[in-house]
Amino acid sequence: MPIKKYDVLIVGSGHSGGMAANILTQKGISCLMLNAGPEADYEKDRTIKHAYELPYRGFNKPGRLPHVFQANEFNANQWVDEKEVPYTAPPDAPYNWVRVRLLGGRSLFWARQSFRLSDYEFKAAEIDGTGDSWPISLEDLAPFYSRVEKIFRVSGRKEGWPQFPDGDFVETTYPPDTETIKRVTEIANKRGVGVSKWRAALGKDGLASSINLLLPDALSTGKLDIVQNAIVREISVDKNTGLANGAHFVDRHSGREMHVKARAVVLAAGCLESTRLLLNSKIANSSGVMGHYLVDQMYGVSVVASVPEARDGKAAPGLMGGNAFIPRFRNLKKTEKRNFIKGYCVSINSGGSASPNFFPLYGAELQAKLDSYANSCVSGGIFGERVARYENHVRINDKVTDRWGIPVLHIEARDSENERNLTKDAADTLEEWFHEAGWEIICKTDRVNPPGYSIHEVGTCRMGNDPKKSVLNKWSQSHDVKNLFVVDGASFVTAGWQNPTMTILALSMRASEYLAEQMRTNSI
Amino acid sequence: MKRRNFVRGLLATPVAPAVVLGGQTAPPPTAPQQQPPPQPNTPARQVPRQPQNVPHLEVTGVDLVGEPAPKFFTALQFSTLRKLGGILVPPLKNNPGAIEAGAPEFLDFLISASPADRQLLYLSGLDQLQERSKDKFQKSFCDLDSQQADAILRPLLVARPWPQDLPSDPVQSFMAQVHEDLRTATMNSREWTLASEKSGHHFSRGFRTTGYYWAPIDPISEG
Repeated sequence: MPIKKYDVLIVGSGHSGGMAANILTQKGISCLMLNAGPEADYEKDRTIKHAYELPYRGFNKPGRLPHVFQANEFNANQWVDEKEVPYTAPPDAPYNWVRVRLLGGRSLFWARQSFRLSDYEFKAAEIDGTGDSWPISLEDLAPFYSRVEKIFRVSGRKEGWPQFPDGDFVETTYPPDTETIKRVTEIANKRGVGVSKWRAALGKDGLASSINLLLPDALSTGKLDIVQNAIVREISVDKNTGLANGAHFVDRHSGREMHVKARAVVLAAGCLESTRLLLNSKIANSSGVMGHYLVDQMYGVSVVASVPEARDGKAAPGLMGGNAFIPRFRNLKKTEKRNFIKGYCVSINSGGSASPNFFPLYGAELQAKLDSYANSCVSGGIFGERVARYENHVRINDKVTDRWGIPVLHIEARDSENERNLTKDAADTLEEWFHEAGWEIICKTDRVNPPGYSIHEVGTCRMGNDPKKSVLNKWSQSHDVKNLFVVDGASFVTAGWQNPTMTILALSMRASEYLAEQMRTNSI
Repeated sequence: MKRRNFVRGLLATPVAPAVVLGGQTAPPPTAPQQQPPPQPNTPARQVPRQPQNVPHLEVTGVDLVGEPAPKFFTALQFSTLRKLGGILVPPLKNNPGAIEAGAPEFLDFLISASPADRQLLYLSGLDQLQERSKDKFQKSFCDLDSQQADAILRPLLVARPWPQDLPSDPVQSFMAQVHEDLRTATMNSREWTLASEKSGHHFSRGFRTTGYYWAPIDPISEG
C-alpha cells in the first residue's frame, strides 16, 4: 500500500496545533496531525455521578496526580498520568506540570480568559530596564489577535488602556455593579488604578476548543488527517540537507514504532512537550538556549474580607455579588520605583462564603461562623508575572523514561526575590483596599503555588532576532532548521500576567500563514 | 473509516428519498429463505450471534449491602479517630455528622491506600492525641468529656488561607488534615447527599458532591 505523503506534519492538537491545521489546510496544504492521546467522547466517557458513587468518595486515588492540584476524582482521567509520563525535579523545587493528551489537548478544559499581551510585555526590556524584548510588537500581532478573537467570540469591555489592549469583542452587556464592587472601584480609582471586567472566549455551544472551533473547518477541506494515540519520539532529519523530514512515533496501545514523512514540521505539543521532543531529537539548538527561560505566572496570593453588613443573611439587595478585573497597574511608568519589576492583575469577586480553614474552630461553633459569614465575602486574587530567567530550565533526564521508553524532562524552576516582593506587594495592597472599605480581613496570604500550577508554562524555545541567543526567529521558525516551526507557548520571551491562549493562537496563525507562503514560493 | 470518507461515501451512495418510498405500494413480503440447520462444527456455527435488546440490569452500591471492616489503624487509634469525628463534625441541623456518614471507617480505608507520608501523619497524630490525653487527664482520648477534649484540641487548630496549607508542627498539621478529611468524607457521603436532597439542597456548599465524572478514556489494556 502506498504511503501517503504530507506537506506538513503537525504534532499536537490543542489550540496551537488546531490553528496551524486550520490555516494551512485552507491554503491547500496537506497536513497530518499526530496526537499523543485518544479522542474523548463527551457522550460515552462523561456521566453525572455523586461523589459517594466513586471508589474514593471524591478524594481521588491517593498518590495519583500529586502535582495536579486541579485534579479530583471526577476529572482525574482527563489529565496525563504522572506514572505513565513522569518528569523529575529537585526535591527543594517542586514543579507542577499539568498536562492533557486528549485530542484537543488543554483547549478542552481551559478557563477561557482571553487577553492580548501589550507592549509592556513585548518591549519588556525597555520597560523593565533588564531582560529581553520580543522581536515583534503588539502592532505586528494585532491583526492576528483580531481574527482569533472573532473565531473565539471574545467578550470584553473596551478601556483604551495601553497595558490592557482592547480587542474585537462581541457585544456584551454587563449588569450594574453591586455596592461592594463600586466600593473597590472607588478605592482603586482613587489610587489611579483602572478597574475593568473579565475578557472571556464565549466559543460555541459551551466550548471554545480546537475540536469545535478550528479542526472541523480543517477536516472539511479534505486536506487534514488526524491520527490519535501517536506518541512522537523524535523528529527525523535529512542528513544531506539538515532539514526535518518527518517523525518517528510509537502507537500508544501496541507500542509499534512508525515513521511518517513530511516537507515541514510544526510542533504544537505544548511548550514543554515540544521542547522535550526537540531536545530528544538533538536538533535546532545551536544557541544552547533551548529549554532555558522557563516561565509562567504566580497563582495563590489571596485576600478575603467579610462585609459586616452582609453577615447573617442581612445583605441588602445590590450590596453583594458581581466581579471586577483589574489589569496590571504596577510599574507602568519608568519613574515608579519599587523593589520589583513587572506586575500583576487582580480578580475581585463579591458574594462568596468563608472557607472552614479560615477559622481555628470546629463543630457547631465552626458551623455557626460559616453560616454567619455565608455570602458576605469579597475576595481578591492575582495572576503575577514571573521573570524569565536563564537558570529556570528543563533538560533531558535520560536515566528516567516514560512508558514508551522516551527519556523524560528534568525541570528546575525557582522563584527569586522579585517574585517574593511582587506577591507581598499584591497581598499588602489588597489588604489595604479592603481595610479602607471597612471590611474584616479573614484571610491573607502572599504564598504562591509551585511553578507550573497556572498551566501557562512558556518560553523554553524563545524567539529572537539573534540566532545565538534564541531558538526561533520572529515567525516561530527554527533558526537552525528552516522547515521546523514551534507554534505553542515555547516561543514566548516574557510570560506577562495574561492568560497566554490568545497570544499562542495569534502566533500560530501568523506562523502558519508565513509557512504557507514559504511553501507556495518553494522557499521551504 | 475517516470522517470525510464516510461523508463522501454517504454522498456517493444513491439514496431513495423517503417521500418516494412513502408513495409506493409496499411489495409483498417474501418468505424467509429456508436455511439448512447448521451442522456441528461447521463454519456456520462459528459465526458469532450478535446480541440484541440486551437488558440493563439495576445493580446495588456496595455501601448499601456491606459494612466496611476497619483494618489499617489499631483499635485504639481507630477509637481516637471516631471520637475526633464526633467532635469535629457532629450532626447539625438535618445533616449527618462524621459518625453517621461512616467517615472514620472510610478514612481507615483511604489512609490504608495512601502514600507513606500521609499514613505517618495520621498514625503519629492519633498516637499524639492519645498520649496528650493520658498525660493531661490520665485516660484515653475516646473517654474524654467535651471540655477535656477541647482543652487538647483547641490549641492545635490553626487558621489557614488554603486547605492544602498545612502547619509545620506535625500535630497541628495532622489536625488540619484530619479535620479537612473528616468534613470531606462526611459531606461527600451518601447519607449527606440524601439529607441534602430531602431538604431541597442538591449541592453542598464548598464541596463537590455531584458532577461530571470522566471515565478512563481509551485506557491501555494491560492484557
